[in-house]
Amino acid sequence: MALSTTVSQRKMIKRKAPRGFLKRVFKRQKPHLRLETSGDLLVHLNCLLFVHRLAEESRMNAYEAKCGVIKKEHVQAAAKVILKKSRG
Amino acid sequence: MAEAMADSYSQDSEPTTRTLLRRVLDTADTRTPQRRRSARIGAQKSLLETPSSRRLSISTKTNARQRSQRARSIGRLAHVQISGHLEEQTPRTLLKNILLTAPESSIMMPESVVKPVLTPQVVQSSRQESSQSSLELQLPELEPPTTLALGPVAPGRRKRRLRLSVFQQGIDQGLPLSQEPHGNASASSLTSSLNLTFATPLQPQSVKRPGLARRPPTHRAVDVGAFLQDLRDTSLALASPGNSLRTPVATLPTDTVLEDTQPFSQPLVGHSPSVHHSLPHLFYTEAKDAEKAVGHRTQSTGPRLQNHSPGKPAQLLATKAKNFTMSFTNTIRAISGKDEVEPLQGGVSEEAEESMEVNLSVSKVKDTTGTQGSVRTEKSERHTEMTEAVEAKEPEGSSDEDISGRTASPELVSSTTEFLQARQLPFLESAPPPNTAILSSEQLEPLPTRLPPRARTLGPRPHQDPHKTGLNHYVKLFSFYARMPMEKAALEMVEKCLDKYFQHLCDDLEVFSTHAGRKTVRPEDLELLMRRQGLVNDQVSLHVLVERHLPLEYRQLLIPCAFSGNSVFPAQ
Repeated sequence: MALSTTVSQRKMIKRKAPRGFLKRVFKRQKPHLRLETSGDLLVHLNCLLFVHRLAEESRMNAYEAKCGVIKKEHVQAAAKVILKKSRG
Repeated sequence: MAEAMADSYSQDSEPTTRTLLRRVLDTADTRTPQRRRSARIGAQKSLLETPSSRRLSISTKTNARQRSQRARSIGRLAHVQISGHLEEQTPRTLLKNILLTAPESSIMMPESVVKPVLTPQVVQSSRQESSQSSLELQLPELEPPTTLALGPVAPGRRKRRLRLSVFQQGIDQGLPLSQEPHGNASASSLTSSLNLTFATPLQPQSVKRPGLARRPPTHRAVDVGAFLQDLRDTSLALASPGNSLRTPVATLPTDTVLEDTQPFSQPLVGHSPSVHHSLPHLFYTEAKDAEKAVGHRTQSTGPRLQNHSPGKPAQLLATKAKNFTMSFTNTIRAISGKDEVEPLQGGVSEEAEESMEVNLSVSKVKDTTGTQGSVRTEKSERHTEMTEAVEAKEPEGSSDEDISGRTASPELVSSTTEFLQARQLPFLESAPPPNTAILSSEQLEPLPTRLPPRARTLGPRPHQDPHKTGLNHYVKLFSFYARMPMEKAALEMVEKCLDKYFQHLCDDLEVFSTHAGRKTVRPEDLELLMRRQGLVNDQVSLHVLVERHLPLEYRQLLIPCAFSGNSVFPAQ
């Protein structure tokens, strides 16, 4: 028999996806739409990749500014770029 | 030979045992047996000359030197005879030599005779043997008769020593046993016999080689009994502090030993033998039990007490304290061990209260440590005993009494003891149950109190908090991916970005799903989104990304995999 569609609670997943959070956010945004169970994980994946890109961009901005600390300006500039990219 | 000897002698400007021994050995090795004899004789003479005050060092060198010195000092005595037999160096020969030499020479003579015999043997034998023999030589200085037996035996092996030890024991019957056994390979009986002969060198040897030295056995078994008796006496004495303190108990021969360990116990011990002997016995038995129970505690409190004894005296005191005062157990429980010990140390004198406290502390400690049951039994026993013993036990009431008369004090003490007993019983009994009750109550209380407050305090606002907690999850990931220190303003900025991102995400998914004519968002929509975002392209597929970034459990749910039985999961 194949595995279950849900991950058992016993398993300790290190990078857990806030599936409830994502579902709630989607429901709040688009109440008339439904989200599949697997789609939830892909959304999480998408978020991970977005955050990853954002962080990289922020780091690069901070490094270019020769600052050892990521500042708000760096993040802001990075967000502009990345959000534009991920608009789809 | 003479030259070598002269050289050796000349070198002895500072007659160190090592140098002397070396010289003897050198001289002996280089010469024939006959020469050795002569050389040895000379060396022995020198050894003999060395003052007996020199410590008997376990090292072979020192011994040999001493022997050489002695040999020098003593004139040649039957050297030829001895030398003739030296070569054989068998136990028989050694014994023969002893027999030959012993009767011929006076008390001093045997030493010289033995020494020369020993020196050659030492020289020939290994250094260990020589050391042993040297010890033997030294022994003669201290106690001539023993040397006779020691001399021939020293150079021999342990077997020889054993044989000779028997012989030596016979010789040493009258000799006092004061010295420590020779540390070097002298564990055999011979060494013990040697020790018997030694009078003073024992200490020096131990000092030179503390590791090898053995301390004289302390007869603690007797001390315990005596100490217990003393405790009894002291307990009674506490009732009449004047009498007890001043009068040391003469009945205990081991008091001296105890005194050293517990100076304050002496005044306690001063009580007269009027104390019932039965009590001491009872206390002794109790003390044993108490010791076992309190052993751990007293040991812990031992250092605090600063008692030199390993803790028996403390235990005994504790037991004694228990016997005396039980009523304070409840109050004293809170007192730390140090506090308990302090009264013991400082107070021992007349203060019945102190003793009470001590007892209480001791009893408290016992309770705390968990030996309540044993303690209770002990206490109950004590109570019974105390009731039985009419004589004054408890120092509490009679602390102020003068030395006027022990009878008066015992009477008062008895009254006080009875009162104390009455108190103690309820106290003791109540002490343990309250503790348990308290513990149980304590355990129960926190449980019910914890749940309600947490449930109430965990009521966040519905909208913001869970949303923020979810966002914080990704913010943490952002900080992790950044791998650089970040300002809090930057983190807040990240939150805003995430909010915007989610909005964009949902809008895009909606567009895609409605474009597909569905009302539910499917994974294909997500893949399309990612493709448009540029994350997924012809080189990098969605599955690759899933494999990279998602844990295994999610990957199993997302990527279809073939299982046995021609089944695919997830089903497509």
